[in-house]
Parts: sequence; C-alpha cells; structure tokens
Amino acid sequence: MGKNVLLVDDSSTMRKIIGRSLRQAGIEFDNIFEAGDGLEALAVLEKEKVDIVLSDINMPNMDGISFLREKANRSNIKNIPVLMISTETGDDIIGEAKSLGAVGSIKKPFTPDKVNEILGPLL
Amino acid sequence: MDISEKIIESTIEIFSTMVMMDISVEERDVADSGKLHDAITGLIGLAGTHKGVLAIHIPHQVAIAITSSFLGMDVDEINEDVEDAVGELANMLGGNIKAVLAENGRDIDLSLPSTISGASYQLQPSKDVDKVLIRFRTGGGSFLVELQLEK
Repeated sequence: MGKNVLLVDDSSTMRKIIGRSLRQAGIEFDNIFEAGDGLEALAVLEKEKVDIVLSDINMPNMDGISFLREKANRSNIKNIPVLMISTETGDDIIGEAKSLGAVGSIKKPFTPDKVNEILGPLL
Repeated sequence: MDISEKIIESTIEIFSTMVMMDISVEERDVADSGKLHDAITGLIGLAGTHKGVLAIHIPHQVAIAITSSFLGMDVDEINEDVEDAVGELANMLGGNIKAVLAENGRDIDLSLPSTISGASYQLQPSKDVDKVLIRFRTGGGSFLVELQLEK
C-alpha cells in the first residue's frame, strides 16, 4: 500500500513548492493532502490515513507548535510523525517542536536534495 | 556577518533554490525606495529585541515573472498566487534575517507576511530607523529588498 503525506503551510505557494520538491527528490506519495493551518491539519488527520506530516511553524489560527501539542493529546493520531519545514531555525523553537514529537526539521529555503536527505530515512 | 551581506546572501539563495531564477546585486546602499508605481510589496514585521520591518518591493511585471518561475506555471496578472508568492518571499527573508539578529529563537518574533499592491504608494518609517536597501537585478527587471530597524 502506498503512503500519504499531509502538507501544512498557510502559503499555497509553499505547499506547491514542497510538492514539487518531493517529486524532484524522487519521493512518491499516493495522496498529497493539504492544510492551511494546524486546525485544518488536525481535521485532515482525523479523517484521512496519513503516514507523515510536513508542517510549517508560523501560521494563523493554530501554529505548528500548538498543532504538535494538540496532536500529542489525541491518542488516535499522536504517533503520526511530523517533520517541520520552516524559516524558524532557533534551537529553542526547534527544540520545543522536537520535545512535542517532531521528528526533525528542514529550513526554508531548501533544495530537493535536502528534502530527500532528511525525509528519505523517515519513510 | 554584516546585515547587508546576509540580506544579499539570503535573497540570492532563496531565488536560486526556490524561485529557480538567477539574480544579482544591481545597487547597494540605495538611498530611498521612494514612491512605488505599479508594484507589489511583501512585508514582514519584527518584534522583540529588534523591532522593524522587512519589505520586498517588486514591480508588477517582475512579480508576475517571479511567481511564474516560483510556481512553474504561467501567471499573467496580479492575483492571489502572486500575492501569496511575494508574501512567502518576505517570510523566508524575514526568517533568515531573524536568525542573524536573534540571540535565540524566542527573542524576536516575526509577524505573518502581508502584501500591499497598487498603482502608486510609498513605505515610510514611523520612527527613526536604520535602513538597508538593496536593488537586485533579474532577467526581466529589478526589485528592492528593504530592512528598517528601530534605532
């Protein structure tokens, strides 16, 4: 059975760029779901089978850190891995994300090679 | 690293890796962005230990070309895709500048990006600021990156 990914970013441009980078990196998913913030992401996770989440941090309504915190409280979805893709590089913010269950981070801007290097081993 | 150098390095990196467009510095130490005509500006605010605004000012036709290259599809007018792309450029630049200015990730907060677009407008600082303004050249015209930091 193929894998499904959820892209969470308030920028539709960035969601398209991440999707393009996945293809350029040779990483294929059966389904690419999209969400514009943490609230939408939680709704997708409750409804769809998702194998991994790629999430921004700075977003309206519910940011990436609050999304991780809320997801960790829901037993049915808490084990789905989340990789942060963000302009945030500060150790304390990335550290907080990891303490809430994030499995790693990719800094924007990024190349398809960088996506492959970090995401590949997680699949 | 000098903040001007970081802006140049970050802007060129963002354009080469994400927009898929080669750019170069056309003019450093631009005095003033002045009145902007038929342009779109992406803005991101900085708050905390450093307060200010980072802006990228792009003429409409250049913004359309940048968005087309960014998205890998033809765009022929200023629309939501262009506004989103220009906002995201400001967001990535803001993140890079924050990494230089911040002692740690929590002492500067970035706003969500916003855009202004119009036939004639001007960005004016409300307080005494240190300003960095750099003009970049693309194959289809130039654009400005501006950082204003409260003194």
